[in-house]
Amino acid sequence: MDFRKMTEAAIGAWHGIQVPNDAAARMAADLESTIRAFEAVRGRMRFEDEPSSFEAALRETKE
Amino acid sequence: MSDLADLSLVAAADAVAKREATSAELLEACLRRLDAVNDKINATIWVDRERAREAAAEADRAVRSGGRLGKLHGVPLAHKDMYYQAGRPCTCGSAIRRDFVPSYSATVIERLAAAGSFTFAGLNMAEFAQNPTGHNRAFGDCHNPWNLPYITGGSSSGSGATVATGVTYASLGSDTGGSIRLPASACGVTGLKPTQTRVSRYGVMPLSFSADNVGPLARTARDCARILSIIAGHDARDPTSAQEPVPDYEAALDGDIRGMRVGVPTNAFVDIADAPVVAALEEAVKVLAARGARIVRLKLPLMAEIGAYVGVVSRCEAAAIHARWMRERAQDYAVHLSARLYAGYGIPAAYYVEALAQRGPVLKEFAAEVFSQCDVLATPTIPMCLPTLAETDIDHGPPGTEQKFMAVSVNTRPFNYLGLPATSQPCGFDPNGLPIGSQLAARPFAETRVLKVADAYQRDTDWHKRRPTVAKS
Repeated sequence: MDFRKMTEAAIGAWHGIQVPNDAAARMAADLESTIRAFEAVRGRMRFEDEPSSFEAALRETKE
Repeated sequence: MSDLADLSLVAAADAVAKREATSAELLEACLRRLDAVNDKINATIWVDRERAREAAAEADRAVRSGGRLGKLHGVPLAHKDMYYQAGRPCTCGSAIRRDFVPSYSATVIERLAAAGSFTFAGLNMAEFAQNPTGHNRAFGDCHNPWNLPYITGGSSSGSGATVATGVTYASLGSDTGGSIRLPASACGVTGLKPTQTRVSRYGVMPLSFSADNVGPLARTARDCARILSIIAGHDARDPTSAQEPVPDYEAALDGDIRGMRVGVPTNAFVDIADAPVVAALEEAVKVLAARGARIVRLKLPLMAEIGAYVGVVSRCEAAAIHARWMRERAQDYAVHLSARLYAGYGIPAAYYVEALAQRGPVLKEFAAEVFSQCDVLATPTIPMCLPTLAETDIDHGPPGTEQKFMAVSVNTRPFNYLGLPATSQPCGFDPNGLPIGSQLAARPFAETRVLKVADAYQRDTDWHKRRPTVAKS
């Protein structure tokens, strides 16, 4: 199965949402570029990292 | 005094306080300007003249009674139509919420009212604040007052167009990926996206819990400082709002930027920009240097990481918020919006969590490396000469239109991921007569610094004082 069809099937199965138009299909297919971007930074995520660190970082990095 | 509609926000407030103009006169000047330009720019969704005239009369009675006046006493304002006001429509620029009337008001609306201002119109915007261009299927596209076939920038399209034409003295926009700075740049006005958590979002239409920001579009940096001083600060009704104290932003605007280090990136933001945009930025930097700033050319770190993570957070959160309507009535969204939302459902949750979890570490690394070398970053706000509405119309354009559409916001989105404060201020015009904006960003909660530099720049330039021809007719 190609990436576009696989993505549309997954969205239908997980969310119950069908592709609404051709532009949506193209944007879903373009998620391959998101995969490539994440591949480029693989290994960065550490075991202890968590989202709440952001508010702390805002305070830590202010003047 | 020339046309009252052309005053800055601060000058309008001062005129009322000094009894040089009444609130009713300011309002009528704004309404006359609205009537003169709106057929061309399509910038409003609703206008409430009757209630606004009552508010202006009440403000004028308060002046005559000699009571203590707020910092925006008697100033009429119009805002992006996504701020809840009890008993008034709030369409969010959408067909889906066309008839929505909230029962409570946003904290920022209440704070502006407590400072003496009142609202007379809800402004056009991208549907659910989700495009960078100003296209709107439900209420019609907003048009750039400088050249009508061109985009206004989005999503606060009506805010940019009305501030530029003198319809309103300032306007609240919202900024999740650039939606204040983009229309500020495209329409030739000044905009400020504050630090993430700086301003309460209670009563504001959500798009992305993690990246939504409330901020002003106005004619000057000082005007933005005035608005921010009123709306910033913790709000118990928005637990995500910061406890940080709110400084006196206006008091810091003294024009003195001697020794300030202004960083210009060599590997991002500028390298992708069109030649007229780069030239305008370089001229702007020279103005700052002439005031004593030191220009630093620097390579920005973590561009691959920011590029990977920046789009994931808001897309996933927007997709979750809109899931029910996407299941039940996807046809009621514009094509470009349902397409964008749809793709959001294809992003794995593990990617979303990684993007959120890396936000703190990436910010710390970025701030440590960049802000040890400079005090503010200067970049183009929009890297390209502005495209037309037709060139970026996904709903009716050919495949590939999406790329031009998304490229509009490539320089603003990184600062949403990093949570940094950023301004856009006009710094020139492109060959088609459309404004060019420069963007200034600094450390978290350093709004004073970016406003100080923007204000210093506006002391030596007049780009922010120019008005489109449509507003002069």
